[in-house]
Amino acid sequence: MLENVLVVFLLGLATALATGLGALPFAFMKKVSRRNVSMANSLASGLMLGASFGLIAEGSDYGVWQTIAGSGLGLAFVLAGHFLLTGREVELGNLSGAKARQVLMILAIMTLHSFSEGVAVGVAFGGGEKLAALITIAIAVHNVPEGLAISAVMRPKGTSVAACAAWSVFSSLPQPLMAVPAFLFVDAFQVVLPYGLGFAAGAMVYMVFLELLPEAYENAGHTQVGLLVSVSLGAMILFQQFL
Amino acid sequence: MLSMAGSEPLLTVLLYSALAVAAAALGVLPFALRLRVPLSALGMAYATASGLMIGAGYLLVSEGMRSSVPQALAGAALGVIYTLRSQSFAGLRQLSHDPQAESGPNQGFKLILRDALHSASEGVAIGVAMAAYPDLRMGIFIALALAVHNIAEAMALTAQLNRGGVALGRAAGLCLLANSSQILLAAVAFVACSAYSQALPAALGFASGALVFLVMTELLPASYRRAGKSRIAFLLSLSAGAVVLLEDFFV
Repeated sequence: MLENVLVVFLLGLATALATGLGALPFAFMKKVSRRNVSMANSLASGLMLGASFGLIAEGSDYGVWQTIAGSGLGLAFVLAGHFLLTGREVELGNLSGAKARQVLMILAIMTLHSFSEGVAVGVAFGGGEKLAALITIAIAVHNVPEGLAISAVMRPKGTSVAACAAWSVFSSLPQPLMAVPAFLFVDAFQVVLPYGLGFAAGAMVYMVFLELLPEAYENAGHTQVGLLVSVSLGAMILFQQFL
Repeated sequence: MLSMAGSEPLLTVLLYSALAVAAAALGVLPFALRLRVPLSALGMAYATASGLMIGAGYLLVSEGMRSSVPQALAGAALGVIYTLRSQSFAGLRQLSHDPQAESGPNQGFKLILRDALHSASEGVAIGVAMAAYPDLRMGIFIALALAVHNIAEAMALTAQLNRGGVALGRAAGLCLLANSSQILLAAVAFVACSAYSQALPAALGFASGALVFLVMTELLPASYRRAGKSRIAFLLSLSAGAVVLLEDFFV
């Protein structure tokens, strides 16, 4: 039991550290275009949609209504986070006004939804090793473009590459922290599993449609967005077939 | 994997694909009744259809991959390429992020051409789904989802034609005509997939690739333009989630 908890924590931590990789391109680039961030968003969208559909399918095996209830909670969670942070006057470090709000907004959204991702990692371990491996890799991979997105907002406002990486990892720290109780909780109460799976799926799908895709369409051509989403969604579904 | 041949299932295919086409005529109704349709309603119809189509695309390609991964992938790639080619053929691709272009003089013609080309791959989707799932349930569901999508498309087309002074009766006829290939292709795809079930995974992939790419390049941007994104996102999540959740219902 104890070593299981440790494994869950370490895997959660690994997915969190993957977020820091998102800052890496900025070490080589003087300027990352908004278009590249849009492309990263599209990539993340396809991966997250594929992962969520897998979660829903998995959850409905345990209980359809519980999965629905969980999805509703996940959706409400992202929506609440979104509205709580829109239109507030904020200050952050040496940034203030609109710049600070943007940075805080993206950090808060990313950090908030890391909670549900952490729950997903922990819960996934309750659903069997295959699902756990799938979700852990999926979340680690999609954390990279999230880190990229965070860095792309912070770097042009004068934050150092190292600080971008650190903030990116910070935004994902809820993952190992939430993964452990979620794992323990689920392990003890199998009943809660479909709620948890639904929650993560609902939060991820809503995050994609509310934040990532609209942003992607703003700064990249529809064809590029469409191609990237289709390919990454297909890759994710393919991935699920083999795991 | 169940394939069905014979006259009765084919009749169901014809009936439901015809229903999806007939729904296009409903797009004229709000104009005929002189109702003021808010832009957001159109956006929400697009979003609902998009969610249903993404969910269906996920189920179709997963089903195809269960039988043959390479076939399903190749089919999906073909579906994406077909939609991409038909978009550039209709001349809509280069205009896609220019809001001014929506009021250009040729736009009505382009929209008709686009709807006609879409409806071909949508017909394939209906026929393939009817052939791939027992009880025809999946196919019927896809036909109904596409009916919602056809109403929204026809509303957009009618608005455009109406601005250009085309009479409503004629607009309704054009909407129906643009979608009519759906019936033929649904029947052809159904018969072909029932006869050559070896090709079913590729056909499922094609339908899925075409649906998802269409949603991502046209329907979603169109819905985000017309209504607030939290409402759009809500409808999308709800409709896509419902389809995936109901997978057991279709099998």
